[in-house]
Parts: sequence; C-alpha cells; structure tokens
Amino acid sequence: MEFFRGSWAVLKKDLRLEWRSRYALNMLLMFVLSSLLLIAFAIGQETVGQRMQSALLWIVILFSASIGLGRSFVAEEERGTVLLLQLNVPGSQVFTGKLIFNFLLLLAVDAVSLVVFAVLLNMVIEDWGLLVLALGLGSLGLAGATTLLAAIIARASNKGPLLPVLLFPLLIPLLLSVVRASRAALDGGLGFTGATGDLQTIALFGGVVITAAVLLFDYVWMD
Amino acid sequence: MVNLRRYTLVRNLVLLWVTGVILAAFLLDIPRINILEHTARNLYFHVPMWFTMMAAVFVSAYHSFQVLRSDDLVRDIRALQAARVGAFFGILGLVTGIVWSKYTWYVGTDVWWNFDPRQSMVSLQLLIYGAYFVLRGALDDPSKRARIAAVYNLFAATTTPFLLYVIPRQMDSLHPGAEGNPAFSEITHPVMRLVFYPAIIGFIGLFWVLYTQRVRTALLKLRTTHDPEL
Repeated sequence: MEFFRGSWAVLKKDLRLEWRSRYALNMLLMFVLSSLLLIAFAIGQETVGQRMQSALLWIVILFSASIGLGRSFVAEEERGTVLLLQLNVPGSQVFTGKLIFNFLLLLAVDAVSLVVFAVLLNMVIEDWGLLVLALGLGSLGLAGATTLLAAIIARASNKGPLLPVLLFPLLIPLLLSVVRASRAALDGGLGFTGATGDLQTIALFGGVVITAAVLLFDYVWMD
Repeated sequence: MVNLRRYTLVRNLVLLWVTGVILAAFLLDIPRINILEHTARNLYFHVPMWFTMMAAVFVSAYHSFQVLRSDDLVRDIRALQAARVGAFFGILGLVTGIVWSKYTWYVGTDVWWNFDPRQSMVSLQLLIYGAYFVLRGALDDPSKRARIAAVYNLFAATTTPFLLYVIPRQMDSLHPGAEGNPAFSEITHPVMRLVFYPAIIGFIGLFWVLYTQRVRTALLKLRTTHDPEL
C-alpha cells in the first residue's frame, strides 16, 4: 500500500505540474502534428501500403517519445527538486510514478497520431481492437525504456540529443514486432490469431524492460 | 596481481596458436565446392569473429554487473575494454560476412545488405556499443560514469535476446544451423573442421590478449593520473 501511495504522490505531482503549464503535452502534440504533416506533404497523392503506413506511424511515435519524454528527470534537476524526491520517496516509487506519467503522455500521442494519420493518409483500419492493443502494449514497453534512459541522461553533462542515440538501438525488437502487429490490424484478414506471436513479444518486451528498469533505477537515481 | 612471467608465456602461446591457425587456413588443401571455391577459407575467419564478439559481450556485461555490485573502477575499465575489442571483432565479422555473401549466396543480385538475421543482430550490437561509448563521453565524474554506463550496458543486454526471437521471423537465414537449414557439422568437410575449431579457440585467445593488454595500459594510465608521486 505504501508503494502505491508513494507512486501516486509522484504521479499526482507530475500531473498537476503538467496541468499548470501543459508544456510537455503541447510540445508532444505539436511535434506529432508537424511531423505527420511533413510526412503527408512529402508523400503527396501517392498511396502508401499498409506496411509503410504502420512503419511511418510507429516512427513518428518513437521520435516524439525520444524528444518529449526525455524531460521527466531533467526537469527535476533544473528545478532543484531531486534531493527532495530522493529523501521523501524510495526510488522504485519515483520510477513507477514517472513511468505511469510517461505512459499516459504516450497514450495521448498514440491517440492523436492515429486519428490524424488515418485522416491524412486515408488509412483503413479493419481491426480496431487489435490496433489499440498493439499501440497500448507497445507504448508500455516504450515508456519503460524511455523512463530509465531519461534518468540516465539527467546525469549526463551534455543532455541535448543523447536520448534518441541511447534509445533507438534498444527499441528495434519492439519496433519490428509492433509494426507487424499494427499491419495485421490494418489488414484485419487474420484478426488476433495472425498477430498472437507479435503481441506476446510486445507484452513480454514491456514486462522485461520494466522489470530491468526498476532493478537498475536505484543505481542511476541515488548518488 | 598477475604473475607477469606466466602472463607472457600464455600470451606467446596464444600468438603462436593463432599464427598456426592462419597458416593452416591458407595452406591446407580444402574440398572445392561450386561457387564457394576458395572463399570457403573465409569460414576460418568470419565465423570465429562472431563467436569472439559473443564472448566479448558476455565479458563486458559480466564486468558491468560487477561494477554495480562493488563500485570498483577497475571493473569499469574491464567492461569498457571488452566492449571496445568486442566491437572491433564485430566489425571484422560483419565486413567479412558482407563481402563473402555478396559473391556467394547473393551472387548475381548486386545487393550488399540483405537483412540476414545474424547480420542484423551484429549491426544492432554495434549500434548499442556505439551508444555506450557516446554515453561514456557525456559523463565526467569517473565513479558516476562507471555506474551509469554499467546500467546502460546491462539494460541493453536485457533487450537484445528478443532479437533471437523476433528477427528470424522477419526473414529466413541462409546460415547453417538456422531453422530448416542443415547443421554446420553436416555440411562441413572434416578437414575444414580440423582448422575451424582451433580457429575459434585461437581468435577468442586473441581477444583475451588484446583485452588484457588494453586493460593493463588503461590501469597504468589511471595510476599515473591519480598517483602524485609518479
């Protein structure tokens, strides 16, 4: 119970700060919108295949995650609130709170990019349930990896473009399976049976990444 | 500390062994197979590079784990140098593989990169080590650098096993021993296996020589910068 109270406190603090400035959310949404528009303009009237559609969708999500979610610990460092958090809440609870916050942000990114993409590229989605499941599970693994790496770059002296460099090599297994699951959802021919293997991989990836991140987080967080 | 005389002896034995393997690789007669012809000798170099890189990855991850347990800077040096030498062998394995496959498996297709599962996996591991080196460059304080780089190294090591499962379903491999393909020992002539297995030992030994040498130099450098009397 103690664990959930601490995590909830961290999450509530982040949500409240976000509600006051809406900086991270606005930045993420603007990034998603502008990159989707760029893609739409670059493609023009050409029809894009389903594989390409799901690949582009996920690349936009990955890039926005690597740009928008990197701030979660850097911001604490800038505000000088790191010590306060270290003293009051155990590391695993800080991590869980931040992870849930990042996951919620990613869900917002997913929703916006999916709707805008569907309109701009005339995407036909056959199996909504499968697509939502793939996006949700994929975002969980993505949030897990990004949250730990955000804590890492908050410790580095040159924070700028470090997060994408560290993040992308780790996410290639996730990207491969999530793109294929999304493609199966767009196609809809086989339904859930066609994507079971990929969904299992995505869920397992999320589980393993989050477990490893919780175990390793204290070494990054505590001095 | 290491017994220097024993270390020199083992090192010289390893170098002798590798020299013998290289001579045997070029001089011994091998059975000619259509298309492969003499390029089959690349087996003695390309495959051991891949084994050596795997060994280096394990050594690096092990020492990273020890960094987190003990906060020992020597362990950090070991993890870094194993990663560096491992990346070197990975690049060699990748290049020998690309050139070899271009003129044998994919002859006539004019393609260099074929997304073969093992090729993708090596390139990914190289990417991870690249990120690891970049991360180290961005951290100034030695003990903080040791800990955080170790965290990244271990975190990366938890995600790479997924590739073993994910990538082969993306595309079939032409490598022996991959699903549906005959095992290595079935299609390789006994004469070639006679050189091949010693070559694996030899190149892993060569990794050990390069790695320990780099660790010793790095330790000396550390001592000269930290000990005011030197």
